[in-house]
Amino acid sequence: MSKKLSIGSMLSLIIAAALLVTSLFFPWWGMKFFAPQYPEGLDIIVYPYTLAGDIDIVNGLNHYIGMTEFSNESFPELPYMKYLVIGLAIIILMIGFLRKKKLLYVGIGLFTIGGILGIYDMKRWLKKFGTELDPKAPIELDPFVPPIIGENTIANFVTNSYFTTGAFILGAAFICTLIPLWLERKK
Amino acid sequence: MKNWIPAATGLVAGVLAATVFFADFSSGPSGSATNENANKTNAEKVYVPYGEHDDYYMLSSGGHSGQLFVYGVPSMRKLRTVPVFTPDPATGYGFDDATKKMLGGFTWGDFHHPAISETDAEYDGKFVFANDVANNRIAAVDLKTFHTADIMSMPNMGGPHAGTFVTQNTEYIVMPTRFSRPLGGDYASLDQFEEKYKGIVSMVKFDQETKKFDLGYQIMLPPWSYDLSDAGKKVSGDWIVMTTYNTEFATTNLEINASQNDRDYIVLLNWKELEKKVADGQFEEINGAKVIDPTKVKGSIYAIPVAKSPHGVDFTPDGTRFIASGKLAPLMTVFSFEKAMEAVKNEDFTDEKFGIPVLPYDKVMEREVDPPGALGPLHTQYDDKGNAYNTMFISSEVIKWKIDTGEVIDRIPVHYSPGHSSAAEGDTASPDGNWLVSLNKIAKDAFLSVGPSHPESMELIDISNDKMELVYTNPVDPEPHYAQIIKADKIKTIPIYEKDEKRPNSVWSQEDTRIERKGNEVHVYGIAMRSKFIFDAKSKRPDELTVKQGDKVFIHLTNIDLDQDITHGFGIMDYNLNYEVQPGQTNTLEFTADKAGTFPIYCTNFCSALHQEMSGYLLVEPK
Repeated sequence: MSKKLSIGSMLSLIIAAALLVTSLFFPWWGMKFFAPQYPEGLDIIVYPYTLAGDIDIVNGLNHYIGMTEFSNESFPELPYMKYLVIGLAIIILMIGFLRKKKLLYVGIGLFTIGGILGIYDMKRWLKKFGTELDPKAPIELDPFVPPIIGENTIANFVTNSYFTTGAFILGAAFICTLIPLWLERKK
Repeated sequence: MKNWIPAATGLVAGVLAATVFFADFSSGPSGSATNENANKTNAEKVYVPYGEHDDYYMLSSGGHSGQLFVYGVPSMRKLRTVPVFTPDPATGYGFDDATKKMLGGFTWGDFHHPAISETDAEYDGKFVFANDVANNRIAAVDLKTFHTADIMSMPNMGGPHAGTFVTQNTEYIVMPTRFSRPLGGDYASLDQFEEKYKGIVSMVKFDQETKKFDLGYQIMLPPWSYDLSDAGKKVSGDWIVMTTYNTEFATTNLEINASQNDRDYIVLLNWKELEKKVADGQFEEINGAKVIDPTKVKGSIYAIPVAKSPHGVDFTPDGTRFIASGKLAPLMTVFSFEKAMEAVKNEDFTDEKFGIPVLPYDKVMEREVDPPGALGPLHTQYDDKGNAYNTMFISSEVIKWKIDTGEVIDRIPVHYSPGHSSAAEGDTASPDGNWLVSLNKIAKDAFLSVGPSHPESMELIDISNDKMELVYTNPVDPEPHYAQIIKADKIKTIPIYEKDEKRPNSVWSQEDTRIERKGNEVHVYGIAMRSKFIFDAKSKRPDELTVKQGDKVFIHLTNIDLDQDITHGFGIMDYNLNYEVQPGQTNTLEFTADKAGTFPIYCTNFCSALHQEMSGYLLVEPK
């Protein structure tokens, strides 16, 4: 017979669910490209459902090194992201209302697995785009894997990858999911 | 449980305080170029370091080059030459279909006086209008793109030299004629000058949405020659003033014969009254223009005698006075608009010329300013402290004087023979009073010699103090007449042409490129991108274009690099053809493939590291 979660825990989980849904409206991740002739920088901005920023320009430049063009269509998971996030939010909301401690572990587990899978997926794409370069490209580059966070240099470009608003909201949602663990700690 | 109220209030207050104290609301570069000029050397005043921009654009006419010259002030760096009346291979102007049609076969124009569009007698930075004295045309340059948007020919004119100037809300762009001429340019003996020849003022409208001109109406005047003119501001906003010369009706050797009368006239016209009458149908249709005779509209036209052969007449910033420059009589005359209106009200006329009531000079004139030894005053500009600035063509100087008293405050030599001058926002209702550029006709020994003919010169003068200071001298190609200096932040350019999938003839993806044949017409719907042309992505060689000798070829090219400053050129060897597509632009080149053979095509505007490789072939199969 598991213990009922407190009102505080319930609120925390409701907030977590709300934050999860909110994160859908903000970009999660981005990469900014700087070059001598692009001092203002070019942006790739990733929302959970679409790419934004200077995608056409970046694609145009990338063809010189033989990188595959990317667009919303090249990422088949994009259309499902919002359902996955909303699904997770519903599960966490239900846990909040059911107030069962065992289920809380399930929720935290799902959230953690989702996060790890997400980062693995990004890493996979970055590797694919950076290493599967067209051998006929006019400019030959050694294959490379841009980092998920931080700086990298490719030819005349310095790239900066970073998590942004949506990801921070996700982080906050995760913390809100963890708070009940602390609230329900054995006293 | 109301604890959250103080907590929330505290947070909000904290954020607000942090915003107030630490947030950076400034935008764009700001540095020494925008600082006060006090305590700077002349070199420092004009030095705009990399990363900073000039405070002003100067839009200068290019004279008989038919172009607009764009400068930055105070650096005096030339930013761009914008082709207006003249074809320009560097930009494909006059080569692509749209601009070729706009030029209508002309290969030059004579652009004298730019006029920036105005709202409430202030430059609004949207368009600049240009006159072609040589071929009776008017042009509009869109200041979002610095491209010529429209050109219109005006019938019945004899060279709109006295334009271009705009009424205070750009209701009309006014274009008075220089030469009197029989209407429609018909044949008439010069012996019939007084009867058959007419002076025409074109009142042109411009639709800023469709970017098209429309000839509103024309005003028929006596066969005098009309020179520089101006539109009123505020109290005088319904009026325009024009200088006249050759009231002698000389038909030969004007140098002598048009300089005999001691007095010529300033003509005052009420454009608003005439507009109403034209709307009521009081006009005669002549060669497609609605022509109105102002002498038949009471209260719409008056003349004031003025010192002989005046060149410029300019309303003061507050619109209460207008100042005429004598050119051949060495004085500036200040006229009171209010006194002129009073004389009109009292019907205080001394004379009538061609049915035009003449106002009494002594009653309308407020003062004559005649600085000793100052010869050839041409044109007046203003500052923010009630001073006027006149260029003196013959004595090669700029004179600064107080409008209210006529007191001469300072004189400064310029090198040499200035025509117009241009002060920062100097003909608006609120001049800035910091810079004046003297547009000199003769440079002689100012620069390294380039042969018998030298460049013209522009001299930058600091007018922020009582004493004027010559700061910089800049050579310039022939030949600026007037220029206007506008605050840089009033001009809002676009970085690229927005992608518009509905634009006729545009193609935005490689898969959609195609070559279509309709009889002997070949239409290419192609793209230019770094670093290739694609005419038909599905063909064996996407950058090959094969046609038959005699085919009419249309190359509709879209630049799909939506990236600032990535312009592609398109030149065809031995075909005397070259044009360009700016980022996001679609342009059509039309030609007849009359020469059989193999003709390389290449990108002429350096675009990328592989620009040299951006090429293709035009193959013309012999008949």
